[in-house]
Amino acid sequence: MMKKFWALFLAAAMLLTTACSGSGASSAASSTASSAADSAASSSAAESSAASSGVLDQIKANGVLKVGVKADVPGFGLQNTSTGEFEGFEIDLAKKLAEAILGDPEAISLQAVTAKTRGPLLDTGELDMVIATFTITEERKLTYNFSQPYYTDAVKLMVKKDSGITGLKDMDGKTIGVAQSATSREILQAAADELGIKVSFNEYPTYPEIKTALDSGRVDCFSVDGSILGGYVDDTTVILDETYAPQEYGVTTRLDATDLAEFVDDFIGQLKESGELDEMIAAWNL
Amino acid sequence: MMTDILSVLTAENLLFLLDGLKMTIFYAGSTILLSICLGLILALLRSYSLGFWGKLAAMYIEVLRNTPLILWILGIRFLTPIPPLWSGVVSLTLFETAIIAEIIRGGLGGIPKGQFEAGHSQGFTFLQVLRFIVVPQCFRSIVPALLSQVITIVKDSSFLWAVAIEEFTGKGMILMGRFTSTAQVFTLFALMAAVYFTINFLLSAAVRRQSAKTGRKPTLEDLSAVTA
Amino acid sequence: MKTSPFSLDKWLRFFTNWEAMAEGFTRTLVIALLSLTLALAVGVVLGILSSSNNKALRRAVRCYVELFQNIPLVIQIYFFYYVLPYAGVVMDQFAIGVLGVGLYTGAYISEVVRTGIQSIPTGQMEAAKSQGFTYVQAMRLIILPQAFRLILPPLTNQAVNLIKNTSVLAIIAGGDLMYQADSLAASKLFYGPAYVTTGLLYFILCFPLSTMARKLEQRMHRKAAAPVAVSKKAPAQALAAPQTQMGGI
Repeated sequence: MMKKFWALFLAAAMLLTTACSGSGASSAASSTASSAADSAASSSAAESSAASSGVLDQIKANGVLKVGVKADVPGFGLQNTSTGEFEGFEIDLAKKLAEAILGDPEAISLQAVTAKTRGPLLDTGELDMVIATFTITEERKLTYNFSQPYYTDAVKLMVKKDSGITGLKDMDGKTIGVAQSATSREILQAAADELGIKVSFNEYPTYPEIKTALDSGRVDCFSVDGSILGGYVDDTTVILDETYAPQEYGVTTRLDATDLAEFVDDFIGQLKESGELDEMIAAWNL
Repeated sequence: MMTDILSVLTAENLLFLLDGLKMTIFYAGSTILLSICLGLILALLRSYSLGFWGKLAAMYIEVLRNTPLILWILGIRFLTPIPPLWSGVVSLTLFETAIIAEIIRGGLGGIPKGQFEAGHSQGFTFLQVLRFIVVPQCFRSIVPALLSQVITIVKDSSFLWAVAIEEFTGKGMILMGRFTSTAQVFTLFALMAAVYFTINFLLSAAVRRQSAKTGRKPTLEDLSAVTA
Repeated sequence: MKTSPFSLDKWLRFFTNWEAMAEGFTRTLVIALLSLTLALAVGVVLGILSSSNNKALRRAVRCYVELFQNIPLVIQIYFFYYVLPYAGVVMDQFAIGVLGVGLYTGAYISEVVRTGIQSIPTGQMEAAKSQGFTYVQAMRLIILPQAFRLILPPLTNQAVNLIKNTSVLAIIAGGDLMYQADSLAASKLFYGPAYVTTGLLYFILCFPLSTMARKLEQRMHRKAAAPVAVSKKAPAQALAAPQTQMGGI
């Protein structure tokens, strides 16, 4: 009976696995198809690559751009608690992209994402792109397409005012609270190694929990990108001046959405060249 | 101290929490309805079908009952394209269906075989016997266990905050990040605990009232089937 | 296939991190064992107290059970982790795991123990007392051994619940199996393999226990009417039967 059960269980696990990867497989198939089309197009006429069956066309057919944004990062993506509207630099960028792709800045559907949810939601096709303080890293590039950076931030440290901590050097033996799936852990570990001090990390699913952990003394420091920390600082806490590893934010798309990725990358390039991007950033005092 | 407490209990904060409470009720409510329906189907299959479907039902129940809920919440959220609102309902329902199926199966097991024979001799089809004789009796007998599991479902919905679904616990924790004084933190936590306690205490009072009325106290089998 | 959450590449990258998974698995196991010990101690003591004749004691136990059973474990764990430090009580996640999950499950086990004791006919206690046994002796030598056999299946199921519930530690950076898997999955983006493997590991812990509980239950109820297994023929026969009597019921 046990044996039979296990056989059945394994069979089901495999079924589930293949069923789940089924959706992945189909998109993988379409990616090979589109890359084949791309190479064919590039060999014949460069401009006709628009014909490649692409994610762009699909977005146009849907008539709406689905973007994952932050809901708790002032200046970047913040959800107004009374109206439910999102606002911030990254929201403006999303609207610009919607205008460029669909001709209407309001043809977007915004969804709040966290450091942890943004990747998976792209994979599942729930989102077309993520503009949510998503830092470009080499490892992440294996899994997603990133546009050229549209903003450069840095990892910062927030501590209790009364802790007396003035920098990472004071944190030997201390615990740092970070968000799951954020880059800050690796960066700070490297910086701590360089200083020859030992720090440990606690990972939490959401930012409010890290703030609560800092308040209750569970961690000695809350570390994440400076932009995000700005949303959590209050009169008992202080953000230290030290900055770590510049964090370049890129617009993120699925790895197989090559046409969309290219379009977005070009578009950001244009915004940069025309100086419009700087204006957008300045508009939010970033 | 008093100002600290009052700074937590502002109208804005309470309305914010109320939004979360509505979500908790939505998640718990839809999970309860869906998992009773689906659980009944699984229980009938596991109890009365010896073939493929019975085995499949048994396998489903065993896999779900022997893995933690939080794993399913994370898995459904991150590995399927189900949008956030519904991923919560789906993961909770998948999990609780297995538990409720076992509760219902326990009820079905307590119904004498003779009822089928009696039903058949009266000209009932198998499905009619189930529909009119077996299932109603079964549900009457499992009311205490089912109600206890309803309490567990309300509590289990708090796990959804692990994927940043802002139900009651989530809204509470978002507020928690803004408070730093001891009085504030204790007040907010007491409020959160009190809300859950009130809902579940009323439900558990219903369990007791039911068992007083029918004279059927929760048995060891009930306690065995209900999850903590 | 690189975009599939279950691509081979992700499995391979996942397995290079097996040490973190092993560490989490061990920690889950140790926390589960210690909190089960605590839960059994709490549950047995409270279960016996709630079967006593002292009304105040019974009421106190009732309060404990209602409090711990009606507030979500997540909230209780948050309380230990985030709130108690404000009162100067700082426990690490390991202690919180043992204490939090133990006290919570203890409430459920006490209900099992109480129901078990109450299912032993009261005549036995009276008979024992008339034979000169004290209350404690009667409990220990006559009532509890009988009750134990009855409550073994629900106790085993509570142990399964307890193991599953230790995964709540993942939300407070508890270092348990679920936390390690989730942390790995999220930082390296191979959540597919991480979740499947984690599920399998929990299943390996829980399935033998819950199967044992079911077997024990079945053995106990062998005499009672078992669910009818319907042969393929029966429904067909039933279908062929006239349905005219339907309205009569």
